[in-house]
Amino acid sequence: MTERATDSARRPGERYRSLVEPHLDALYGYCVNLCGSRPDAEDLLQDALVRGLRGQDGLRDPAKARSWLFTIVTNAWRDRHRSRGRELDTISMDASAEEDDFSLYETVAVEDPFPYSDELHLDFLRLFRNGDVRRVFAAIAPVHRLPLILTAVHGFSCKEAAAILDVPLGTVLSRLHRGRRQLERGMWDYAVRNRLVEVGDDAD
Amino acid sequence: MTLIDCREAVSRMWDYLSRDLDAVDQDEVEVHLGLCRRCCGELEFSRELRAMVAASESERLPPTARNRIRELTQEPPAPGAS
Repeated sequence: MTERATDSARRPGERYRSLVEPHLDALYGYCVNLCGSRPDAEDLLQDALVRGLRGQDGLRDPAKARSWLFTIVTNAWRDRHRSRGRELDTISMDASAEEDDFSLYETVAVEDPFPYSDELHLDFLRLFRNGDVRRVFAAIAPVHRLPLILTAVHGFSCKEAAAILDVPLGTVLSRLHRGRRQLERGMWDYAVRNRLVEVGDDAD
Repeated sequence: MTLIDCREAVSRMWDYLSRDLDAVDQDEVEVHLGLCRRCCGELEFSRELRAMVAASESERLPPTARNRIRELTQEPPAPGAS
């Protein structure tokens, strides 16, 4: 590490700590989602934060600390994947075309699992606990899951998500769309498979 | 501004919820929602679903890990009291 006490007597470690602290929970959540396990997530976060500390001169505008940190975590994760011979962006993108048209809202309306409910759709969602949603979500391919995480969970705009993932905006938009479809289909399949709902055309 | 159909409105719904549409696209969604009860229902549904995903994916960094990270960036600890 370089010894630089330039910043008007503020030590780099101190400056960095105040940049990072407000985002630690969010960054950790992102790491858990990327890694699928908490110990790996802690490891990844630590690795990324060390990189950030070394490269903090690259952050010119402290207001952008949040997306800067998410970018560093993403890159650290991608490097791990690469070193294990797996390339994130070459995971098959061909979710079959039929998947694109699935609508959970329509499916719940048509299958009508709660005939006496006047809040059919919300009742469907109430069947799911956090762990159920997490399991469905974890089954979505990372390329489609990450844009969803960044926008829906962490509140980044599509443009910011594109910058963090280092892909064109159009790519993020189409992956978001697919991710949503996979989430919706996943929710329905999960509910049927785990018998959270009974549907008419059951085989047995 | 053009009138959009349900399919188009639904495809913009999550971006609408994130306030991530440009002004024209957003107006088009709002005009559609003003005319279409079905899509108002789906908007409500999408909002809930999105909130569920956000809730299920949020985490708190455990204190032990937080301390370890603090040490990464910290000068040696001040001499402790007592």
